[in-house]
Amino acid sequence: MKTIVTDFEYLPAKTVEEALELLAQHKDDDYKIIAGGQSLNTAMKHRLITPEYIIDIKGLSDLDYITFDEKSGLRIGALTTHRSLEKSPIIRDKYPVLAEMEENVASVETRNWGTVVGDLCNADPAVDPGPPLIALDAKVTIAGKGEERVVDAEEFAVDFFETLVQPGEMVTEIQIPALPPHSGVCFTKYSQIHGDYALASAAVLITLDESKKKCVNARIGLGGVGNAPVRAKKAEELLKGKEITEDLLAQAAGVASEETSPISGIEASAEYKKDLAGTLVKRVGKEALARAQKA
Amino acid sequence: MKEYSIIGKPTPNVDGPAKVTGEAAYTIDMTLPNMLYGKLLRSPYPHANILSIDTSKAEELPGVKAIITGKDTPGGKWGLWRRFRELSDQQALATDKVRFIGDPVAAVAATTEEIAEKALDLIEVEYEPLPAVFDPIEAIKDDAPMVHEDFPSNINATRHIEWGDVDKGFAEADYVREDRFVLEAAHPCAMEVHNSLASYDKGTGRLTVWTSTGSPYFVQQNLAEALKLREGDIRVIKPHVGGHYGGKNSTMPDAVNAAILSMKTGRPVKIVYNRDEEFTTTEHRTAQNMALKIGLKKDGTIVAFEVKTMTNGGAYTGLGATTLYLTGTFITMPYKIPNYRYDGVRTYTNIVWGTSIRGFGAVPAKYCSETQLDRAAKDLGIDPLEIRRKNAVIPGYEAPGQYKFESCGIQPCIEKMAVRVKEKWPKLEKDEGIGYCAFAYMSGGIFNWIDTPYAYSSAHVKVNWDGTVDLYSQAADVGQGHNTVAAMICAEELGIGIEDIRLHMGDTAHAYTDLGAWGSRETLMNGNAIKDAAAQVKQKLIDIARLKLGENIAYDLVAKNKRIFLELRPERGLSYYDLVKDAIRANDGVPLTGTGHYTPHNKGMISPAYGMGIMAMKAKVDRETGHVTVQDVLVVHDSGQIINPLGARGQVEGSIHMGLGYGLCEEMPMDQGMLLNPEFVDYKILRTRDMPEIEILDVPTYEPNGPFGAKEAAEATIAPAAPCVANAVYQATGAEFYSNVLKPEKVLKAIREAEKKQKASKATGK
Repeated sequence: MKTIVTDFEYLPAKTVEEALELLAQHKDDDYKIIAGGQSLNTAMKHRLITPEYIIDIKGLSDLDYITFDEKSGLRIGALTTHRSLEKSPIIRDKYPVLAEMEENVASVETRNWGTVVGDLCNADPAVDPGPPLIALDAKVTIAGKGEERVVDAEEFAVDFFETLVQPGEMVTEIQIPALPPHSGVCFTKYSQIHGDYALASAAVLITLDESKKKCVNARIGLGGVGNAPVRAKKAEELLKGKEITEDLLAQAAGVASEETSPISGIEASAEYKKDLAGTLVKRVGKEALARAQKA
Repeated sequence: MKEYSIIGKPTPNVDGPAKVTGEAAYTIDMTLPNMLYGKLLRSPYPHANILSIDTSKAEELPGVKAIITGKDTPGGKWGLWRRFRELSDQQALATDKVRFIGDPVAAVAATTEEIAEKALDLIEVEYEPLPAVFDPIEAIKDDAPMVHEDFPSNINATRHIEWGDVDKGFAEADYVREDRFVLEAAHPCAMEVHNSLASYDKGTGRLTVWTSTGSPYFVQQNLAEALKLREGDIRVIKPHVGGHYGGKNSTMPDAVNAAILSMKTGRPVKIVYNRDEEFTTTEHRTAQNMALKIGLKKDGTIVAFEVKTMTNGGAYTGLGATTLYLTGTFITMPYKIPNYRYDGVRTYTNIVWGTSIRGFGAVPAKYCSETQLDRAAKDLGIDPLEIRRKNAVIPGYEAPGQYKFESCGIQPCIEKMAVRVKEKWPKLEKDEGIGYCAFAYMSGGIFNWIDTPYAYSSAHVKVNWDGTVDLYSQAADVGQGHNTVAAMICAEELGIGIEDIRLHMGDTAHAYTDLGAWGSRETLMNGNAIKDAAAQVKQKLIDIARLKLGENIAYDLVAKNKRIFLELRPERGLSYYDLVKDAIRANDGVPLTGTGHYTPHNKGMISPAYGMGIMAMKAKVDRETGHVTVQDVLVVHDSGQIINPLGARGQVEGSIHMGLGYGLCEEMPMDQGMLLNPEFVDYKILRTRDMPEIEILDVPTYEPNGPFGAKEAAEATIAPAAPCVANAVYQATGAEFYSNVLKPEKVLKAIREAEKKQKASKATGK
């Protein structure tokens, strides 16, 4: 029932170098990185965590960017807010699925302050950007002092509130490759209340061949139905190399549903969430296909 | 209908500018010099004996100025059912045992909130856990643990209501059905949490308390009992209040412990609940089990109705006993029910207690009765709107020994609804349905469980030499807009402008008594008192005007547009401002005053007047996810002469929002007395984007008991929202619901059940 945050030492960083230096210094301490603070503040108020150090990276304006070129694709800096992503003309033009996703992330107030990378690092299994980033084959850059590594978005979260980011490290960037021709992507989440955490969410990417008949690639990301966002690889395989019909999509949705392992909660049972994931795959799959045919 | 200058005109809230600019001071914003911060240590057990409390370590913490436990309190018990002392069951801090998770056992005052919270960790309490009971059915069993020693079987209150001959009624019915329901609890979720600031003057022995309440007078009375002080030595001030919704009638431990800590330290002490405390230790809408039996003729005429309910009352009484009674009355409205029997039992259990949340018993009651009525109508092959029209009351209808409708526009409301629905929703798409619910609600209660020797409402008007008016009353604006209504009524009666009225509301030391904001009472009850006070002053001005004008005494004089003139010869009159100066001169220099009051007499057991109407909702069901989208809402209501249409609209929309939450998503799941969702991440409230468009149509009537013909406009529309949704889903899919909260999984299950039933009945050729 406590709601007052316990004392901590506040360490602001102005540059990436400074931030990495602070992280290296406090590698073995009980610290947390704050950017937007939308999840961290709540967790601290509830004393779920009581860090001794808070490393503030909000001032790292050099990581607040969204850039795109055909060769290297999209780059999203770690300080990019949800709202920036939602409103970015680049996103709306090249990856409208991300803008669609953002419109249902919490409320405008939260999106104004919360960062996309912060959301990923908090690693709630229902994290909204998770499934579309998996479908878009995104990579995440993790940096430590004097080193850097790139991991697949689908590998990034490893468990409830746990990621590949190790002590002394921080995420600096998300990269998304340019979409091949005849690709369509769609994402949806379901929650009873608008902007709430997803009971389940699904993103589907479909790439068609030249004739726009056969599926040459499919990627499916699911959220809220496991201890981390899930890539439904078996369902993807079912679609690849085939002409996607409604029946095939329904079949893939069923397979995707079986690839999930949700847990029961106050709002819904695991069985419901499992079925829901299938329903959502079917629905977004249909829309992704339609988009691919138009692209 | 009479043409008014101010009444009935959409008027922006008089507190609006201060509120939207952030200048309005709520208790939570207030500090006093030298103020200490108080915190309460609460029980982690639902039921346990307190063996010992050791505060020595906490006392050593620098910054801690006082720590109290049960033995340090004056020990007075309090409650709102003061006529029945045994139901005054609340106490500042538990002494011998705790009765729910969150029952306070100690209080700390410290120089900062942080220190106060740290000190709580240092208090050592030894408990002896006792078997606990969480369910009303379990609570009445012989071997159930007793929550309060003097209440065998944990029965806190019972209510029996009966008229006609119910058994004969059922014997005469062509169709009888019985349904059982389980209703979930819901929290009022006011934006401003419970909080109080107390300042005790050791020199005079007087106490001042600022608190977020719906009734400063209730707090004054309760503090007097809890602290064993005289009422008159306590001043309670209600600043702006950030939401009430029924959860701020009871005096809570924040006010009492802040007062005790201030008495002990001689310094002001403020206690602010955090959101977790708000959810887990303040009052909510009561969960209950209801059984309904209805008998109808083939043509849909209701001939008999029997209702039984058992409510999960929780650890204390609050206004739960009144809610129990009103559940049994509102469930009959607005229908002609010749034979009726109600038995309600409120049980003590080891959870936080339930009370009079907005709608005061009508919300669970109407959910059950109106969904049952839809099923009966379907079985009888009668249109759901038609069955409501057929049974709706007419003006003058009386439920024997209980209530009587004077102004009563329900029939025209239903007629208007029938026409508008056809225009508005000419065609339904697949999986869409329309749900209806008729409703009626009181305009203030005729109850005196609080045992007040004062009038139910009073107001004092003082007119200054320049024509400005000071209006004093303890009536409470809790966000519903009563300040605006009060100023409008006063201004209309005196024939002046709202800008001429300065309000002094909600302070027990500066104004005569009003029982506060609950049961939609302020417009009618306080409105009558204000009108009475203003009329007294007006009469003085009319007397002077008559003297100066020297007209025939047969002429009537009226006050309007800042003049007093002959009603039939408007050109003959005098300026209000000039008359005020003359009148004060004639009064030996004393400003003009009037003191008005109102107490209902001979108006039955419930209320002098009832707001009423019918609601319809169009909803669409997603058969795969179970999601229910409420697309559109239509309300046709009779609130008498509406004083402020802008405020009334806000009240109707707000009620529908809260009612829809009850129907769709708000719930309080508990495990062994522990609330599982005590924060807004997990407690789901509908957001702006979840709200449908709401069309509101008025059927104005003139209510003889209300000021300018006004009556209730604040709460009637909460109860119909949830049954409308359930009925819309029922009409669209056949899915039947026996509990509220239509979460998607529940909807999906009910649809599957309905599909099974439909298949089975097809197979048997029914």
